[in-house]
Amino acid sequence: MKRRSFMQKITLGLGLVTFSSLPYGLARLLFPKVLADAHTRIPLPGALPNQKDFLEACIGCALCGEVCPPDCVKFHSVDGGFASNTPYIDPSRKSCTLCGYCMEICPTEALTVTDIREVDMGTAQIDRVACYPWVDQGVCGACVSVCPLGDEAIDYEFGNFYRPVVNDGCVGCGQCVEVCPEPSLPIRIVHRSQGTIAKHGAGIRKKAEMLKF
Amino acid sequence: MKKIVRHLNKVRWFVLTVIFSMLILLPFLHLYQSYEAAHAYDLLAPNEKLIYDSMEWLTKPFVKDPEVDLNELKGTTWSGTLFGLKLSDPLSVVGQIAAGKNIYWPFLLTALIPILLTVVFGRFYCGWICPATFIYELNDNLAAWIRKAGLPVSKHKLDKRIKYFVLAAGIVISAATGMIAFATMYPPAILGREIYYSIALTGFGTGMVFFLLTLFFDLMVTRRGFCRYVCPGGALYSLLGRFRLLRIKRDVTTCNDCAKCNVVCQFGLDPLRDNFSQECNNCTACIAVCPTDALSFTLNIKDVKFQGPGHLGHKYKKDAA
Repeated sequence: MKRRSFMQKITLGLGLVTFSSLPYGLARLLFPKVLADAHTRIPLPGALPNQKDFLEACIGCALCGEVCPPDCVKFHSVDGGFASNTPYIDPSRKSCTLCGYCMEICPTEALTVTDIREVDMGTAQIDRVACYPWVDQGVCGACVSVCPLGDEAIDYEFGNFYRPVVNDGCVGCGQCVEVCPEPSLPIRIVHRSQGTIAKHGAGIRKKAEMLKF
Repeated sequence: MKKIVRHLNKVRWFVLTVIFSMLILLPFLHLYQSYEAAHAYDLLAPNEKLIYDSMEWLTKPFVKDPEVDLNELKGTTWSGTLFGLKLSDPLSVVGQIAAGKNIYWPFLLTALIPILLTVVFGRFYCGWICPATFIYELNDNLAAWIRKAGLPVSKHKLDKRIKYFVLAAGIVISAATGMIAFATMYPPAILGREIYYSIALTGFGTGMVFFLLTLFFDLMVTRRGFCRYVCPGGALYSLLGRFRLLRIKRDVTTCNDCAKCNVVCQFGLDPLRDNFSQECNNCTACIAVCPTDALSFTLNIKDVKFQGPGHLGHKYKKDAA
């Protein structure tokens, strides 16, 4: 093989790669990734999916808090409005261990017994600009090692040890949020719909919001 | 028989004290369970260690694995678990049905035993179980001392039918807003929840302000005013116990018209003239105070009509005038 033709082939290949990635880069420039707002008050495991249905079913007996072994269930005060006296979990303070006692003891249909892999409290989302291993090859992996559901919920990115990636199996228990040692708060629990939107095209949502106003 | 009935008031006070102290004890047991679940005794603060040690000493003879076994006994009178039996206040079921506009049968069944007991015993919950009654009766004794000191407090009388309007308004508000309005204005629910908040969580919430206001209302405006005139639970129990089976009856041949029963009745009823009505909560204070054992229980779905003055034939001052 001649040196000249070798160089030509390399240039052609590089050019092809550059041009084929241009649309993606342009799309990212026009529609940047926007992280959803973190939920500081996430619903309990097994809660009715609709917040309104949950408030109609919950009688405010505080039984879920009384049986919670890690004492993670907090209650809305008057600042919750119509949600006052109903429970929530703040995963940054204390997270759910998915023990299921609250689902068993709840007298109403507000919390129903659910398999822990079908619980829907939200999903974790990682801000890759704030996560230590994602930024500069740091060594952490706390969120992956603490996850009670294993690699179907959160796992290392392929070939990149210590860089966590959230998978579809995440139920949003928030143990990764509690254990995360970074002060930059790279991991948070968001609503499941917001999580997928942020993954696939947050810019569209942002544009829709801009058009609305 | 009558000798035993006279001591029921003491039994009632014992039951009230046990239930109120359980409301205080259960949050401590919850704290003990959460410390136990954390497996970190050495990391506890001194006051937390004190809670852990005392609760361990209390429960050690009864439970093997406190983390699981203590879950048998949980909750408040609003809703709770008693050795696997889930019990709920009928008012919570009414509020939930009004708010959700659907009937969740497992929840309705938890209120079945209280409803059946109410149909037989009337407003027994108000006198024998309600943790707020424990405070309200002590508060009423305080009002009696203030009255004795010369201040004319809590002497007004209102219309007893107000509480039925409160019950109806609560149902309408629950249906309109989708939240259970009774949970925020029903003293036993507030008290059970706030005691739990204050011990196991951050502290008293705003429900306690409401409860203190009702205490002040009772102390200054009317005697046991909230229970008699406002409480939606009392209204519901009065309606359920309208034709209750167990009633108090005056024996006219032994009654000597001393009117002690009328004075001691905190609900302002008129046992002296056989006027118990659906408001009577079977607290048995009048039975305990009667000097001639004229009052006793009977099985009847209706009160007897006024039987006239007692065996001494004294006329009441009002009738003579």
